[in-house]
Amino acid sequence: MKRLAAVLLALALPCVAAATDYTVRPALSQLNFEGTYQGAKFDGQFKDWIATISYDPANLANSRFDVVVTLASVRTGDHDQDSALPGESFFNVAKFPTAHFVTTGFHRQGNLVIADGQLTLRGVTRPVSLGVVFRAQSATSATLDIAGHVQRLDFGVGSGDYADTSVIGPTVRITAHVQLTSK
Amino acid sequence: MTLRSNDRQWGAVAKFFHWIIALAILGNGVFGLLMDLARSPMQKINWIALHKSIGLTVLALALLRVLWRWLDKRPLEDAGSRWQQWAARAVHGMLYVLVLALPLSGWWFNSVAGKPLQWFKLFNLPALATKNDGISDWVLDVHEYLFWFLLLALVAHVGAALKHHLKHNDNVLRRMLPFARLRNGSTSTGERP
Repeated sequence: MKRLAAVLLALALPCVAAATDYTVRPALSQLNFEGTYQGAKFDGQFKDWIATISYDPANLANSRFDVVVTLASVRTGDHDQDSALPGESFFNVAKFPTAHFVTTGFHRQGNLVIADGQLTLRGVTRPVSLGVVFRAQSATSATLDIAGHVQRLDFGVGSGDYADTSVIGPTVRITAHVQLTSK
Repeated sequence: MTLRSNDRQWGAVAKFFHWIIALAILGNGVFGLLMDLARSPMQKINWIALHKSIGLTVLALALLRVLWRWLDKRPLEDAGSRWQQWAARAVHGMLYVLVLALPLSGWWFNSVAGKPLQWFKLFNLPALATKNDGISDWVLDVHEYLFWFLLLALVAHVGAALKHHLKHNDNVLRRMLPFARLRNGSTSTGERP
């Protein structure tokens, strides 16, 4: 009986304890992506995004990421790409100004923590999983490094003619480096 | 017709290089000037990719041609006045330079514009220079003007070949034509310089 009580307590504890709420320091944080175009890699960033992060590696059940990305803030350093990406065929920012990622849960895979969530982009919501590396730097600050892959055509990014994956690769790698300060 | 050139006429390899490069560089030049007619941005992307692939092919063929010319014999120069021989050599030299410079300037433009360079979707080639938006318009002008210079040199080249063929009735054009038979008894079967 004693053992059962201990197990129940252990299961119940995470539900009681809250994960740490963090503020993102935008100047020290980046949200990047990498795609392929005509056989070569290209990369870019989103300059404007807001993330609400509650995280505790010892309390994944109560951890949560909620990220809203302003898609018009995309920058690749290439004139043609920067003018095409906000357009109707790609992000269609006139109709869908933001993308939204929210976690539905976390699980461990070996040493890695995987954040499972729903990404809403261009009016389509699909499950997306991201690898999470959390490093506490002090009692009040930490970094998060996130990496995962998205299939652009799942969300209709690059529709019509642009769906040709022999020109624009189907897989886009998403990475983020986030500097956190606890609230 | 043999593969190698002899004293009287160009061999099959030299003829092949001459005509395939002529066709490809002229076709690709006209195509390049008409690329703005693309009906959609994606069509233009695909047209430009094709233009680049053909241009790279021309560059490779031109390099092989220079190598072959160095290994091969060539027909004796046509008997003509000193200035005509000098003019023929100058125009031929210019054509060789332009046939190499045209694709190289395109590659240069592609590099400073920071675009990928892919050969018929099969493999990618590196940039010749770092991305530099400040000079890319100027380099594109260089690329385009080289084509106009090529056309100017071509007027002289084709004009001279036709003059030989029609006025002098000699073998200067025939010895480069793919299926033409040489005229026997022509005055200009070549003289050793």
